[in-house]
This record gives sequence, structure tokens and C-alpha cells, in this order.
Amino acid sequence: MTAITTATRPRRGRSERRSVALTILAVLVAAVFALPALWLLIGSVRPSSEIFGSLSPLSWRILVPSSVSLDNYVTLLTGSFGRALGVSFLVCALTVAVGVIVCALAAYALAVLQFRGRGAVFAFVVISFMVPFEAIAIPLSQLFTSWGLTNTIMGLVLPGIGNGLAIFNLRQHFLAVPTSYREAATIDGASEPRVLWSVYWPLGGSALANSALLIFLGQWTAYLWPLLVISESRLQVAPVALSRTFGEHTFDYGQNFAGAVVLSVVPAVMMFILQRSFGGLSLATGEK
Amino acid sequence: MRTSRGAGNPPPRRLSRRRKELAWAVVFLAPAIIAILTLRIAPSVGAVISSLHRGFPGGVLEPVFSGFRNYSDLLANEAFRDTVVRTVVFNLIINPLQVAIALMVAVLVTRKIGAPGIWRTLIFIPATVPIVGSSIVWGVALRPEGPINAIIEAFGGSPQPFFTSGDQALASIMLVLSWIGIGYWMLFLISGIQAIPEEYFEAARLDRAGPIRTFFSITIPLLKRPLLFVLVADTVANFVVFVPIQMLTNGGPQNSTTMQMFNAYRTTYTYGSKNLGAAEVVILTLIMLVFVAIQFRMLREDRPTRSRR
Repeated sequence: MTAITTATRPRRGRSERRSVALTILAVLVAAVFALPALWLLIGSVRPSSEIFGSLSPLSWRILVPSSVSLDNYVTLLTGSFGRALGVSFLVCALTVAVGVIVCALAAYALAVLQFRGRGAVFAFVVISFMVPFEAIAIPLSQLFTSWGLTNTIMGLVLPGIGNGLAIFNLRQHFLAVPTSYREAATIDGASEPRVLWSVYWPLGGSALANSALLIFLGQWTAYLWPLLVISESRLQVAPVALSRTFGEHTFDYGQNFAGAVVLSVVPAVMMFILQRSFGGLSLATGEK
Repeated sequence: MRTSRGAGNPPPRRLSRRRKELAWAVVFLAPAIIAILTLRIAPSVGAVISSLHRGFPGGVLEPVFSGFRNYSDLLANEAFRDTVVRTVVFNLIINPLQVAIALMVAVLVTRKIGAPGIWRTLIFIPATVPIVGSSIVWGVALRPEGPINAIIEAFGGSPQPFFTSGDQALASIMLVLSWIGIGYWMLFLISGIQAIPEEYFEAARLDRAGPIRTFFSITIPLLKRPLLFVLVADTVANFVVFVPIQMLTNGGPQNSTTMQMFNAYRTTYTYGSKNLGAAEVVILTLIMLVFVAIQFRMLREDRPTRSRR
């Protein structure tokens, strides 16, 4: 490396120095964004009392705990947050299961079936999902009250099942499936549901995984909606439960941090699992 | 096949196949359409209708039609007008700011630097923390005796009342939202920058354009589309911001962080005025649509200059 630098000294030296300066700048910017997250992670495994105790006078102790333990996690998960986590998982699983099917059916109709007004229906679907959900959450929660869906799992699941982006993604993916596949299946006498189930679904691969992930993330991070339709604490989802404990016991910061870490790690794990289980299948199997 | 239309037996068969496809399309689309009608259209229509009625807060009497009374009352109310102005000003500040910083960061991490992937990932990390978690981190970090004040004191400053002073609370909320948002929007801009053909930058280099000139004459014009997408998406997200406000300041101190979304929630649930709350939601949506429409106009106006190139 040094040999090269000395060989073409004047020009390279300058651009290299600039590149070093920019790298240092990038490190600093990255630190600004990552340090609070690191502080969160460390705070979740250190005794609660130490989160503030380590601050004054300011030292490296701010990021180095005196002892590491999972106590915060244990206390948190065995309490009401553990239960809320269970509700969150149940809601997410149901929403993903129903949502992916609803979206795949719609995407199949919009990509494969020929009918008049298909473009208009597609535009309607995509546009109606572009309005941010928060803006209609309050009026919708009043409808749910009149439909008797407040304080039910159904009430939590329903708003998550349709996802415009998932339909859009799946449609794009289905459009790329060669029409000859469907023709071959139809000649063999397969009905449309059959074609979707045994031809398009297996080829859905990454698009199905992405849609599942989109729907999952939407439900996992939902806060306003559960706040509006759930008043019973036994049905409360994890983000709302966490924000409640944050408001009440102001000194259990260690547990609050542990809760935030759990909420962040689950989607990451989910992403990893979905990529593994769906990533292998793809259109690469190809047409003969 | 298509030309043989008048040839005899094909038409009835094709017709029946067409009809079959239409029938299946109806069946397949039904769940999604029903979901849209009941979960999107019905509440929107419901909000508009409800906003045109009046009823006693939490009362048992049926609300009665009252035309635009709710709207005129709201607009005559100084506290509500302040909330609208605050929401608009908040968005006028935070959206360009976040997009500008995200753009600068995106440019930085796409330059010739060591291990760019690591820095990009670290900058993106906050976006993976759910907003409840981010609010907790910053809620604790910005406490009077928290680490940010410890750092300020270590440099000789005096501790700041971040969430408890009317002057700083909104800026503190913006800080929390920016910590989350910038890394997220950066990702879109990075892929936009990477989609710019390398020749443009080479041409700029040959013309001896410096980094600043290159940024304004090459990067920004060729990045207009992703920039406007990010701006629109960021605007929509920030107009309905709710979680950090409810968790960290509850709209205070002295209403300094009361945004329209939080206000509509409070009117509807804390004060029990459903009809007024519905009118507030309608006004919020209308203002948001105006912002989005202006931004889309900017997107359209940029087309002629592009095709000239």
C-alpha cells in the first residue's frame, strides 16, 4: 500500500487524504446515530440504578456496565409485558396468514385474469391504501365500536390484512411468471384457484416473504390502533404495554430498555427467518 | 386467433372463458375490495358525515345535522388555529431538514470512503427500533439528569429542560423523529444516487467541477424523483405524528407540542367530542393533501427540463 502511494504521490496522496477525512466524517455521523442505540442495548443488561449513576462525572462508564445480567429481561417477560408480547405474536401471525392470502388473491386477479376495468381497479386499490392509516384510525375505531369489535383479537387483526404495497409487489411478481405456465395448467383442466395455488404460489418466493414481512412489521409496530380499540389490559399489545410501564414506573428504565430491545430484535429475527425459508425458491427454476 | 372472430364457433367459447375469468376476478378481489370499503372508505365517509353533526360530548342523544358549524367553531377557536399553524410550521421545518440531512449523509456514504457498508448500517439502525422504543431511549436520554445533559455539563454548559420547557419541547420531539427518520430516508436516496450513471460524474470531473458544484449541478437535478418521493412520504408521516408526543410530552408544556393528530385524538377520547374530533381529522387530511399536491406539482414541473437534456 505504501509502495503504491509513494509511486504516484502527488495526485493519489491528495485524493487519499480526502478519502480518509471523509471516512472519519462518516464514522462520526455513524456514531451519532448508533450510540443512543448502543446505550439502549447496554442499559437493558445493566442494573437499572446504574443507568443514571454512571453519568456524573461523565466517563467511559456510560457505555460500560459494572455487571451484565439478563435480570431486566426476566422481570419484564414474566410480567404483563410477557403477556402483551404473546398477544402481539398472535395478532401478527393471524394478520400475516390472512393478509398474505387476501393480497395474493387480489394480486393474482390484477396480474393474470383478463377483465374490463382491471387497470382502474388496480389504481383504486393502490390509491386507497396510500392514505395514511393514522388519519382514518379515529373514525374507524368508532365504526369498530358499533360493530362490536372493540376489545377483540379480530378488531386488532382486521385493519392489517389489506396492504396496498403487498398487493403491488405480488402483482409485479406474478406478472413476471410466464403465461405458458398458466396455459399448460388450464389445458390440464386446472381451475383458477388451482393455478394460483399450485403454480403461482410456489413461484411467489421472495415476493410472498416481502409481503408477509410488510404485514408483520405494520402490525408489530402498531400503536395508535391498539390504543383505540383495546381497553382491557389482557388484550393489550406489546408496544402499548411498554409505553404504559414507561409512564408508570419511572425508575424501571432497565426494564423499559429491555422492552425496547425485544421490540426491535423480533422484526430482525423475523426478517432472517423469512429470508431463509422463502429465499431459496425463485423464478430461477425457469421455463423449458 | 384474434382475427378469426367472425369465423364461426370460437366466439361463444371465448365469451364463456371471458365470463369465467371475470367471475373469478370478482371472487379473488372480493376480500381486498371489501377490506378497502369497510376499513378505508367507510371511515373516511363516516368522518365527513360525523363532522357535519353535533352532539353532546359523551351524550346519549343522537347527534343532529348542523352543516359546517363544527368547522366554523373550530376556525373561530384560537387554540385550534394555533394547533393548525403549529402543525404546518412543524412540517415546513422538519421535512426539508430531514430530507436535506438524509441527502448529505447519503452523499457522504456513497463517496470513496472505507467500509461504507458498516457506516450505512449504523446510521440505519435507529430506523429499526420501533417508535415506542425510540421515544423511550430519548425520553430517558433527555431527562434533566440524563446523559445528554451530562455531556453538556462535561463541556461546561448548563443542563437543559428539553421536554419540560415550552421553548425546547418541540425541538426535542423533532430530534427524536430525525434520529429515526434520517437513516430510513437515506436508504432511498443512496439507491437513487447509485442509479445515476457514473459518466455524469466523470464528465463533471473532466470539466473540473468541484464537489459542491457537482452536488448542485449533477446530484440534485438527477435525484429529483427520489428526493420528492422521500419528501412526500416524510410529509405524510410527520403530519400524522402521534407516538412521541403522547408518550413524551402529552402535547405540553403549554400546548407547545400539540399537533393536529394528537389534538384530534384528545378531542375525541379525552373530551369525548366525536363530531368535533371528526372535523379535526377532516381538516388535518385536507391540509396534508394540499401539501402532497404541491409536492406532486413540483414533481411534474420538473419534467420538461428533464426531457430537454
